[in-house]
Amino acid sequence: MLWRQFTMEWRLYSRDRVAMFWTMAFPVILLLGFGTIFRDSGGPTLSLVRVVTTTAGAQDAALDQALSDLHLKVLALPKTEAEARWARGETAAQLETDGTGYRLRLNSYLMAQAGATAGLVNQAWLVAQARLSGAPEPRRIPVQVESPGRKRSANYASFLLPGLLGLNLVSMGLFSVGMVNVSYREKGKFRRLAVTPLPKWIFLLGQVLHRLTVTVVQAAILLLVGYLVFGIANQGSFFELLLVMALGTGCFMAFGFALSGFAETSEGYAAISNLVFFPLMMLSGVYFTLDSAPAWLQRVVAGLPLAPFLKALRAVFNDGAGLAGHGLGLTIVAAWGLAAFFLAVKRFRWA
Amino acid sequence: MTESALRLRGLRKTFPKVVAVAGVDLDVARGEVFGLLGPNGAGKTTTLEVIEGLTEADAGEIEILGLTWAQNGREIRSRIGVQLQSTSLFNKITPREALDLYGSYYPKRRSTEELLKLVQLEEKADAYHITLSGGQQQRLALAMALVNDPELVFLDEPTTGLDPQARRGLWDVVRRMKAEGRTVVLTTHYMDEAEALCDRLAIMDHGKVIATGTPASLIAELAIPSVVELTFEGNAPDPAAFEAALGLRVEPRADLWEIPTPDPKTLLPRLLEAAEAAAVPFQQVHIRRATLEDVFLHRTGRSLRE
Repeated sequence: MLWRQFTMEWRLYSRDRVAMFWTMAFPVILLLGFGTIFRDSGGPTLSLVRVVTTTAGAQDAALDQALSDLHLKVLALPKTEAEARWARGETAAQLETDGTGYRLRLNSYLMAQAGATAGLVNQAWLVAQARLSGAPEPRRIPVQVESPGRKRSANYASFLLPGLLGLNLVSMGLFSVGMVNVSYREKGKFRRLAVTPLPKWIFLLGQVLHRLTVTVVQAAILLLVGYLVFGIANQGSFFELLLVMALGTGCFMAFGFALSGFAETSEGYAAISNLVFFPLMMLSGVYFTLDSAPAWLQRVVAGLPLAPFLKALRAVFNDGAGLAGHGLGLTIVAAWGLAAFFLAVKRFRWA
Repeated sequence: MTESALRLRGLRKTFPKVVAVAGVDLDVARGEVFGLLGPNGAGKTTTLEVIEGLTEADAGEIEILGLTWAQNGREIRSRIGVQLQSTSLFNKITPREALDLYGSYYPKRRSTEELLKLVQLEEKADAYHITLSGGQQQRLALAMALVNDPELVFLDEPTTGLDPQARRGLWDVVRRMKAEGRTVVLTTHYMDEAEALCDRLAIMDHGKVIATGTPASLIAELAIPSVVELTFEGNAPDPAAFEAALGLRVEPRADLWEIPTPDPKTLLPRLLEAAEAAAVPFQQVHIRRATLEDVFLHRTGRSLRE
């Protein structure tokens, strides 16, 4: 009976092609779009404009060689172009030859970058001079640029992907499960079922299983696209990933059920669910981190279910870390889920 | 022997703002078509919903096929068939799938083909529900109520919103149910439907049963088998003066006067004479047999359609 209910849900769902397409495609489009736009923003790079001269000597060659060894992006431009770029304010540091020696111009508006670049250029200059004179090369301390907390996969797409996975779960719970409940009640589909001997839990479980498999398919598509297009792979254990996903699914599905008990009509439900959805989405680090938000807001957000869920998800998926240290966060998620579940049971109505 | 199919005693149901069912007693025998007739808001649908187990009664006893909800809920559900006032289905389910699906909920079931044929939906068997006409959707709802070969069928306003031809089609299906030995309980606010289909009736108003009996006996109890109607062009004038002159009760309706009488033959000449004397500007005179509408009118002072 359960199987029949489940397959029927799928069959009817697959007939609504437009809805199905968008449910499946929307997260993928978001990932492809934002992932491509912000593809290169992995970490800040230092850049230097090098003005090219026609009379380049051995000294210039040695300096260029030394510069290329450093973690520095060198843009070699002819004088006129370099000047134009400088005038536009895009250049942080510019290295010029003035006959006898070199001159480094630093942009006062980009002092942090310019200062670091100046240090590196001077280092390169020392190295170049030593090489030219045959003196022992001064030893450097190695430099490495990192994005703390996202060591292994620092690009935006890999930050976004777990966020979208989480967002999918939230929208599945709030919009699919909750909305379907309200509209079934509103249109009397529940009433028609209630006069049959079908146990109600079979109907509900069939629906839940259907939503669950839809989510699994969605997640699989998203992970596959992430892997094929951006080369993002799960860094942690698949078991832990599954564990976190299952917890989130349960929590947000319970949310949908609970909220559906508070609305009489589909319109009413749309308002209520958006009221919950948008703050969750905007404040919980789906699209961007909240590191620069005020401390009190960060504390509030940490108490909502989505942020700790995404943190744990990213810890496993992006950093390959275990779930150790996420005990409190996952407890918060579970607590929200349980509270929502009890509220759902209390408020649930068939008619 | 007529074992009881349905037995209600002192059924009450109050909603926050309205008393929907105010103490209803009913007995429906097996094999009969029983009608609940009354205007909108009389409590017919609530009565049905309480019987069907959709709404809990505040007080009263319900016995369905000798069973009670408290003890035999599951068995009752598998032995009754229900058509709700509006049956909502998925937009993209086909009649065949709907019958297969709902049939699968029951231990005993009729074949989908047989049901499709019964309600003449064979040609639309694989069309999406949303593409069916109102009458076809209603016939599907009827077939779904029969999917478990029920002994007792509840139909809530089965023909509301249908065109005359579709209504006749549904009446045929209900008659077939009776012929198959099922008990049918239906609600309607159409007196012609109640007269055409029902073996017995309960007339409901304000949550109470105000009369029960066969359509013929209810009309006979009126003791005014006929009604003479004077029709007017436009609105009917105030009959007070004419009533006094005639010495008989005259009921004003929108564009006509109704004069109930046990003996139209002797009334008619007197009526025409009086009308002539009072210069009543009537257009036509009709004599008709009293109907259930008149029964309702007589008992409540209001028309069914108001």
